[in-house]
Amino acid sequence: MNTAASPLLSVDNLTVEIGGANVVDGVSFDVAPGKVMALVGESGCGKSLTSYALLGLLPDAARRTAGTVRLQDRDLTALSERQLRKARGKEISIIFQEPSASLDPLTTVGAQIAAAYQTHNNVSRSEAYDRARQMLADVGIPDPDRRLHQYPFELSGGMCQRIMISIALICSPQVLVADEPTTALDVTIQAQILDLMKKLVADRGTSIVIITHDMGVVADIADDVAVMYAGRIAEIAPVQSLFDDPKHPYTALLLASVPKLHHAPKTDLATIEGRVPTLSEFGAGCRFADRCPLATEKCRIEQPPLFDCGGGHRSACWHIDRMPEIRKVAA
Amino acid sequence: MSESQENVLEMRDVAVHFGGRGGFFGSSGAVVKAVNGVDLDIRKAETVALVGESGCGKSTLSNTIVGLQTPVSGSVKISGEEVVGADSRKLNDIRRKVQMIFQDPALSLDPRSTIGATIGEPLLVRGIARGKALKERVGELLTQVGLRAEHADRYPHQFSGGQRQRVVIARALALEPDLLICDEPVSALDVSVRAQILNLLVALQKRMGVSYLFVSHDLSVVRHICDRVVVMYLGRFVEIAERDTFFANPKHPYTRALMSAVPEADPAVQRSKQRFVLQGELPSPANIPSGCAFHTRCPLATEICSTVRPELTPRPDGALVACHHA
Repeated sequence: MNTAASPLLSVDNLTVEIGGANVVDGVSFDVAPGKVMALVGESGCGKSLTSYALLGLLPDAARRTAGTVRLQDRDLTALSERQLRKARGKEISIIFQEPSASLDPLTTVGAQIAAAYQTHNNVSRSEAYDRARQMLADVGIPDPDRRLHQYPFELSGGMCQRIMISIALICSPQVLVADEPTTALDVTIQAQILDLMKKLVADRGTSIVIITHDMGVVADIADDVAVMYAGRIAEIAPVQSLFDDPKHPYTALLLASVPKLHHAPKTDLATIEGRVPTLSEFGAGCRFADRCPLATEKCRIEQPPLFDCGGGHRSACWHIDRMPEIRKVAA
Repeated sequence: MSESQENVLEMRDVAVHFGGRGGFFGSSGAVVKAVNGVDLDIRKAETVALVGESGCGKSTLSNTIVGLQTPVSGSVKISGEEVVGADSRKLNDIRRKVQMIFQDPALSLDPRSTIGATIGEPLLVRGIARGKALKERVGELLTQVGLRAEHADRYPHQFSGGQRQRVVIARALALEPDLLICDEPVSALDVSVRAQILNLLVALQKRMGVSYLFVSHDLSVVRHICDRVVVMYLGRFVEIAERDTFFANPKHPYTRALMSAVPEADPAVQRSKQRFVLQGELPSPANIPSGCAFHTRCPLATEICSTVRPELTPRPDGALVACHHA
């Protein structure tokens, strides 16, 4: 990546298998301290599985078959389940899309936040509650004293997501993994939560790995972006460089399919023909080849490596030099 | 707004309230004023976007138009015919002219019916076509939405999300409606598929002259597909304007907040844009603030806003805005 500082989180060749197919295939990326990395892609591209694998939270059907996840100088994939439990919440935390599904409906939110603190710190209940109260204030919840004693059903979706963030951050982890944290929220509330996450990055130096399908969210919060397609990273770059000058046909078409200011209304938007291959259809070559306007025989036979395009921009395409042709299609 | 033959929809002072009448023990519950006195016309082949946050009354309004919800007052006319108070036979007839498509196509299709049976059902029920003619018409509808006639024998699970939404659209078009209500039709779809469905909706309108009421929270999609935009907040319209006016010069503070809240897919634009961030969240529709319902979150609010409700008033550029200060 383009950062000079040594990475805080370093994912190398992460590979996850479901039923013999690599649904996450050789994914590597680094996140520097206080930076936001976005993993973007459409449903089924493996972005959520990648995020679960970072914390060793893969579902039963999935298995990590290769790769390492280094947090500073420790390989999280080499830890025992017991050691992992100690690391989760304290060093690396995760929040999910639907906050109301992640909170215990029968426990007050104060108790849930305090429990997260007590799990990792040998403190009294009242001390843990003090911390919880402080945390609620930090995430911008008005009247924290009253809120501590409320149950999740008494709070709105935006409020619940702030509670989730409180639980995730109360032990000051270095990395927060956020899996579609604003997808279930209204836009005005989404803006508040994104602002909150940016503030936390600035104040606490927390690094964030955010999983999203929304290019607007990426444009708002990310420093670096990895675009995933069918389990692999298609392109990885600093955010401005990715939007200004995409080097992978998939990224370029994806960006072009979002209506922009300069598009004349009611004209045709660029589309990507076909559909994402299923696990059983993964071939030997580039997994985007069947839908790619630039694809040649080589693309179907041989998997492209991530080529370095300079400035921290890398793309897994055999035909980066032919990108101007895509821009014509996408214009 | 003038009455004319060209309007496929005319709503006058429509209000839809829930609850409040006694309840089980005769105590009076809170009245939820989901829709509270709205006027809306939609012209032939026009696309009107209805924009607002969850709980603002968009879905109740859509349901009222198709007759799934009965208003407590007001009038709803589809192609000149009154829906409110119509007997069931009349209603059945009117309903042919207005159809609805929903957000998640997987939930709108019967998993045990072939899509041919699903699309053909409205035609069969109304006795419009059967046998060979029905089969031909279904094939025609499938072709119109970019699928193939031979797909008729397949089941919903054999299709992708985007293809399923095409099936839903084909079914909605089977009776050749004048008005199609699209309730977040692309929100559940992946970005690349979204563009395909938007292109299809635009093409169908050009070909068939159908009107759309397009319920959405995605302003980039709204800007692309709509002719006119209506913004709703807690059961009332706060701004109505032609697309270009709306996007060039949004006036109501809520509209401006919505626009600044939707992230642009361009980091340079997104990070340099002037933010107009709202405090707090949408109040409960069971307890709507006095005066202007938006005053509790509005950065421009003054004394008068909490006491006097602003009416929609026309502005020089043709926009209608309900605000004391905009």
